[in-house]
Amino acid sequence: MAKIVATLGVAHAPGVTGWIDKAPQHEQDGVLDGYAQFQKLMDEVRPDVVIGIANDHLLNFPLDNIPDFCVGIGEQWAGPAPWFRDWLNVPDYTVRGHRDLGRALVRESARAGINHAFADKLLFDDNWSVPLKFLFPRYDVRFVPIHMNPIVPPVPSAAHCYAVGETIARIVQAFPSDERVVIMGTGGLSHDPGGKDYFTVHEEFDRWFLALMEEGNAGRVKRELTFEKLLTGGDGGAAELLAWVVAMGAAEVAGNARAETVFYVPSVPMRCGMGGVYWRLE
Amino acid sequence: MGIQDTDKTLPSNRMVFELRRDEQKYLAFKQDIEASMAAYGLSDEEKRAWRDMDIEALGAMGVHPYFLPQISRLFKGGSRNHNDSDAARLYAEKMGIASQD
Repeated sequence: MAKIVATLGVAHAPGVTGWIDKAPQHEQDGVLDGYAQFQKLMDEVRPDVVIGIANDHLLNFPLDNIPDFCVGIGEQWAGPAPWFRDWLNVPDYTVRGHRDLGRALVRESARAGINHAFADKLLFDDNWSVPLKFLFPRYDVRFVPIHMNPIVPPVPSAAHCYAVGETIARIVQAFPSDERVVIMGTGGLSHDPGGKDYFTVHEEFDRWFLALMEEGNAGRVKRELTFEKLLTGGDGGAAELLAWVVAMGAAEVAGNARAETVFYVPSVPMRCGMGGVYWRLE
Repeated sequence: MGIQDTDKTLPSNRMVFELRRDEQKYLAFKQDIEASMAAYGLSDEEKRAWRDMDIEALGAMGVHPYFLPQISRLFKGGSRNHNDSDAARLYAEKMGIASQD
């Protein structure tokens, strides 16, 4: 059976690839060193497959028909989408998909009472282009992207996201292969694309959230990480952290709900609380 | 004004959604904004806001907030989108907020 070897949550804000030179040196160093630590962790656990969960950013799904989650079941992915190329300043890349696992996630989640949309093709923006560049710079894993909706209310609750993660983990653990799997939530931390706090980072919120991940208490996450609470980390930005909750739910099933913070750098020049957490499972 | 105040059916939302996905439509928008706005059925109030690059007014009408900085990039480009970029400065000016680091 396939094995979950780690789960994680990490920021994907485009400033890190697009204009990091505009940030003070200590912020540049802190963020780049943080991503380098993640790359080292990935080199240690050597995943064959990465299941990603991140904001669709209203790129593939329009306001008239937007699923909570959509599993990418294509065999091949490419990014970034053309309009985002110069914004992101990353090389064009391709990464293999994993149709059999993607289909299993859709099929078995439905049996567990969770309805996922699915798609052969998806456009990628910063959601994957930033974390893949840093964590898997050789793009040598098979990738199952799951695009979610954390920005068009009603968004899925923390409890639902947790259950989605638990279910993903159980499906992976029953998947007939010997593949090593990482579950990677991307997005956050505090930021406010499109609001009055566009040039503001909410450090207090971020530190509260990181402590919540470190504590590993599912009940508290489901109780306290409400939609209203997420709005206080930036309207329409911080709710991306629901992708980390998916990773936490998966981590608990795999044996460890308590995360360790890998890095945290609040950066106004990057317009985001940059950081990431890691659930060690091996 | 926030994500809870989005008017999902506002024609401007469909226009922004498609311009970012379709290079031909984006090119056509840059060449003839009036034709694009007519094609998507924008109201006169929406059209006035687009002509003035009035990002805050578009937000008040119900454009999804995530689209608002992207509107600044539709007009000013997305390259090197730091806080002192043309796009970020346009966003700050139209939203009435300071852009300093």
